[in-house]
Amino acid sequence: MLKQIFSVRKILSIFLLLSIAYAVYCIYYKVEYWGFHFAPRQNADVWSIEAHISFDPTGEPIKVSLTTPRDNDAFKILEENVIAEGYRIRKNKASSRLILSSEAKSEPQNIYYKIQLFDNIDTRGKVRASAPEEPQAPVFDEQKMAAAKQLLQLAQKQEGDTVSQIIRLLNEEPLQPAVQSYLPVKLNQQIMVEIITDLLAIKKIPSRTARGFRLQESKKSLTPDLMIEAYIDGLWKIYDIKTGKKGLPDNFILFQRGGQSLIDVEGGENSVIRFSVLKSITSSMKLAGKRAKISDQEQLYEYSIYNLPLAQQNTLKWLSIFPLAILIIVLMRNVVGLQTMGTFTPMLLAMSLVKTGFVAGMLCFAIIMTLGLSIRFVMSKFNLLLVPRISAVVIFVILIMQSLTIVGYKFDFNIAQSAVFFPIIIMAWIIERASITWEEDGALNAGREIFFSMIVAIATYFVISNEYIRHIMFAFNELNLVILFLVMLLGTYTGYRLMELKRFRPLVKK
Amino acid sequence: MFKWLKSFACPKELAAAGVLGMNRRNFDVISKYNKRCLYPLVDDKVKTKELANKVGINTPGLIGKIEYQHEAKNILDIIKGRSEFVIKPAQGSGGKGVLVIKDYHDEIFVTASGRELSYNEVYQHISNILSGLYSLGGKYDTAIIEELVHFSNIFKDYSYQGVPDVRVIVYKGFPAMAMTRLPTKASGGRANLHQGAIGVGLDISTGKALHGVCRDVPISVQPDTGADLMKIEVPFWREHLIIGALAYEMTGLGYLGADIVLDANRGPMMLELNARPGLAIQIANGIGLKNRLQEIDNTYPSGLTAEQRVDFVLQKRAK
Repeated sequence: MLKQIFSVRKILSIFLLLSIAYAVYCIYYKVEYWGFHFAPRQNADVWSIEAHISFDPTGEPIKVSLTTPRDNDAFKILEENVIAEGYRIRKNKASSRLILSSEAKSEPQNIYYKIQLFDNIDTRGKVRASAPEEPQAPVFDEQKMAAAKQLLQLAQKQEGDTVSQIIRLLNEEPLQPAVQSYLPVKLNQQIMVEIITDLLAIKKIPSRTARGFRLQESKKSLTPDLMIEAYIDGLWKIYDIKTGKKGLPDNFILFQRGGQSLIDVEGGENSVIRFSVLKSITSSMKLAGKRAKISDQEQLYEYSIYNLPLAQQNTLKWLSIFPLAILIIVLMRNVVGLQTMGTFTPMLLAMSLVKTGFVAGMLCFAIIMTLGLSIRFVMSKFNLLLVPRISAVVIFVILIMQSLTIVGYKFDFNIAQSAVFFPIIIMAWIIERASITWEEDGALNAGREIFFSMIVAIATYFVISNEYIRHIMFAFNELNLVILFLVMLLGTYTGYRLMELKRFRPLVKK
Repeated sequence: MFKWLKSFACPKELAAAGVLGMNRRNFDVISKYNKRCLYPLVDDKVKTKELANKVGINTPGLIGKIEYQHEAKNILDIIKGRSEFVIKPAQGSGGKGVLVIKDYHDEIFVTASGRELSYNEVYQHISNILSGLYSLGGKYDTAIIEELVHFSNIFKDYSYQGVPDVRVIVYKGFPAMAMTRLPTKASGGRANLHQGAIGVGLDISTGKALHGVCRDVPISVQPDTGADLMKIEVPFWREHLIIGALAYEMTGLGYLGADIVLDANRGPMMLELNARPGLAIQIANGIGLKNRLQEIDNTYPSGLTAEQRVDFVLQKRAK
């Protein structure tokens, strides 16, 4: 008998060691050849930007010139694609413009320019550049010049450096009378930039326009934002023309620097350019695919998770954290010895906590449990049959969730709205079990079971909500194999549970 | 902080005391000696009763059983002419769903705790049993109605209401450890230790009290009646052990717990069997179970009859 256990344990240990060796090799391989990282950030944000240019040809030879983003410190260009049938494509590296030319055409034209940018978040800095020429003061009539100088005077009372001061003055709410009379009635970003440039020129500060995108997920089409760059202390510094804030906002990609136009179309009219932006966290795995292609290991990559469409990847990412959560449950039950309600209930609770956020989730759970238990106690007086009774509890839970959400929305209390993320059936069973345990074994036992379940759920939550752990479990999914054998090996653990050390303490001979 | 840590034992100390832990019980004992296919024999009390009667173990008489919801109304016919009985789920565990009726007349049911129930409430209770509220895994269940045990006066001072019983752990057919479980006010008249009943370890060779425990804390006086627990001596001790030993023959389970009650008129009777008896019996006895089991593994003979095994244990332990 003893021999038998030993061999089972031995076999499982060997498998565990093999799986560890395999995982280590795979991790090495993925890091080395596919460029995976352990930290989620570096592997993360990949933006794809698509510019859609459309115009009607006039019957002359066509020449389209489009500004493209430069590879810079903040963003690396992973991939650049032009879809333009029948065009000769040329790239002017120096000015970073894409030039497309073709014979005269008759139908309306559509050109797509697509790039993928990799957010190189760590190296974002200021751009050092050689000094530009001193700007020439704008040609204003005397009256306008006086007004402009008055504005510069006023600006000094604002916060920040000279550039910020000017921008803030122009965007003040409400505008001062002098500013209001200076600004034209019709104001757009372009005009605003011109006004700021003029004012800075008076101050002899060189400046230029910058065009870029605030990269935002789920925003289908957008227009480029204008920003202004001023040359101060040997650096081009960039300013938001609305807030006067210095520096690039988060997730802002500069498409174009300097005064050139965004797009020029010769031989066409009614030209329109539309941009769309998509953030794909997991498509950074595509980057790995590209690397794999280069190093001839495509075959292997094609059969990996990272080659799947994004939606599936996201589902799998969620799934690949489960084994770790299960491991925690096994440890908590068989090694620590906590009695919980239902084996995997704490895990499911932890999963909902991830969706709701910790504080909101705990509050919601407490509210649902309190209301649910009180209703269940009233209901126990009716002596209903099991299935109708648990069904009634399910409906009550749904009603509680609905009212929490509605009340939460009404009072703009976001916490309550997270109620919908709790698994309804699981909540109903927790309430049912808690109330039966309460009636049969007393409040103490019921309270203890809920308490232990929550402890396990919270521990699980903190592990699976950790960005690093989630990333690692997905990027290096071989680790799940290690967990599998670890769990099986734990199935042969015959040592004492932590709680038993306390429970059987009286048996220790003094 | 250190004081709190001191409430934990070192695993080595427990091992030295021969304590059997939950993991080892499940892995080394239950999964080895209790075949899964044998579980239904003890999980279903109707089957257990039939088997027990075949091998000659005394059990409380079966008055009737109700299998389907539409039969629940037959309860009044089944109990006609009786004033006391017990309604319980056939597949219940841990005393859940057991309704002890002490006095019944004119459709009024008086429970052991003195509560009066109407016909509707009893009907509801039976209905709950049938719908699987008390059964393992919520399966549809059968309600059984059996004769009330008139437990011997011996335990009168030691328990508060309910039915006190004797739990014998039988390993490979040899009685290994025993305790008596005494209901208290806190346990609501039920004989389950985790509900607050008292466990008193019994000397396996004599049936005399060794050591008392309530909620994992040592105890020597019954808190409700003030009786001295250490004076307990269970009569018909050999008969108790023989029931346990026969249960092994009857079920084939290598590790089982036999719950035995002492009826004033009919002597020891088997109430139910358990294929996964708990480990609290070690605390009640103040002794670890692991060494006992190992001793049985290594030195006890095989091929004996139930009575021979009991006599072997009585002799061996008497020294």
